[in-house]
Order: sequence, then C-alpha cells, then structure tokens
Amino acid sequence: MKLKRDKISEEIPTSSMADIAFLLIIYFMVTTTFAATRGLDFSLPKDDQDNTPLVDKEDSVLIEILVGGVLIVDGRAMPLDAILEYLKPKLERNPRKPVIIRPNPDAEYGYMVDVFDELRQAKDKIDIEVKNISIPTQREIDMFWY
Amino acid sequence: MRLKARGTQNEGIPTASMADIAFLLIIFFMVTINFEVDKTTVGLPTTELRYEIPKKAAYISIIASGQIRVSSGEEISVPVPGPENVLSFAVDVVANNPGKPFVLKADKNVPYRYVDSVIDALKQARAEKIYLLSQQDTVDGADGGDG
Repeated sequence: MKLKRDKISEEIPTSSMADIAFLLIIYFMVTTTFAATRGLDFSLPKDDQDNTPLVDKEDSVLIEILVGGVLIVDGRAMPLDAILEYLKPKLERNPRKPVIIRPNPDAEYGYMVDVFDELRQAKDKIDIEVKNISIPTQREIDMFWY
Repeated sequence: MRLKARGTQNEGIPTASMADIAFLLIIFFMVTINFEVDKTTVGLPTTELRYEIPKKAAYISIIASGQIRVSSGEEISVPVPGPENVLSFAVDVVANNPGKPFVLKADKNVPYRYVDSVIDALKQARAEKIYLLSQQDTVDGADGGDG
C-alpha cells in the first residue's frame, strides 16, 4: 500500500508579515514623540577662584530683573527692546564689555531667558556681538559682590 | 459576429507592495524615534534663537512648584529632594563624562532661585555647557509646541 505523504511547502510563510509590520508601525507611532530638543546654549566658566576673572561692577553693564519682569539697566528702568540700543555705543567702545544679568531670586525664570535671548541676538540686531555675558549665581554674589 | 469576451478584471485591492511600504515606515520610525528621558510637562520659555541639543545630554527639569527631576540622559528622570542633591548628581555625571552637556528644562514661571541653585551646582560640578530648553518664539507672539 502506498502511503500518502503531506507535501511540505518550500517557501517561508510570509502571509503574517504584513500584520507584524503594521503592529510594529502602530507601536512606533504611539511611542514616538517629537520632543522639543532645542534651546539656548551657554558655556559655564570654570569654578576656579584663582583664575576666574573678577568683573568690576563699574566697568560692566548690570541688568537687574525684578519680580514681574521689570528690567533695571544700570539703575534705570528700561524695556527689553531698548537694551541693545543702550548697549551699542558701550560695545563699540569696548567690544568685551561685560554684561551682568542679575535676576531677583523671586523673579520668574522666563524673564531671564528673554533677556539672555535678546543679548544673544545682538549680532543680528545691532551688528555687534555681546561677547561677555555673565549670570552670577547667588553664591558667587555673596562671595564676590561688593 | 461574436464579440470577444472582455478580459476579466481582478476585483481585489493589490496588496503585494503593502509589506514593503510597511517596512519602509518601520525603518522611518526606528530612525527618527527619540526616547524622551524626561516626560515632565513644563511651560517652556520662548526664544527666537534655538540651537540643536546633542543627544544623550543630561536633563534637569524644574516644574513651576520647584520640584526637580534629573536624568543622566541614559534613563528616565527621577525626582530629587532638593537642589543640594543636584550637585552630587552633576558631579557623578561629569566624573563619568567630563564634556557632557546639561539641559535645563525649567518652567518659565518658576522662581529664579531654583534655577540659580541648579546653575550653581553645575558650576561647582565643573559642567562645561548648559542648554536652556525653549520653544519657538513665533512671529505673531503665539507660543509654539509644549515641552
């Protein structure tokens, strides 16, 4: 008697491949997040008390940020968009003029970012770069401010 | 005269290329996927200048109430009790990778003293670069996407 043999397919079964692929697509679509991965960069000075250059308050421009976003530049209240025009003649005389940003501890962080963003745009707006922006921390102010 | 019978039309949707398209989409998502190490929702400040943040940067997020979370960029962020803990975290990160950038993801309404303490910790830990995460400042003044 001749036994009947099951015929084995020589091909790899691919019928479920599309299903698996679509499941993977759904997984990636759900887990993918287009995150906000851009921001303003700033380089930190080395925390070295011997080599950190001390900035003379008289030789610099001091921008104080009060609660509510009021800006006091060298003792005078000033709107944000007037800062660069105020700085322009000073920077033309001394391109490395230090600009110190000193936010009040209770002021909102967003106002500090606004001022920093404005200063970083000096090259585009007044055609001269603010090369020396300093944001001292409270500890540094307690140690070095006079 | 007898007309020739019309060629039979296939009624099914051609699906032969569907798997190819699906795999192309998978490759696209695999290449573009970006696993966020910090999923904290904060109202980011808006800036006109925005630079690309390097991948695998360490994250420090501060929500409006002052709660701080940290991540070395390799794992999901974890909350820390206070700003003083940021220093030990930053020292560890800098010791393992001296040039590693830090991303400060802070709410625009957070009192500056929290940000100040974090920046101070990073300075003491001898971090070299900080990125202040921001969202696009659009021309009409409307805010862009959320963080």
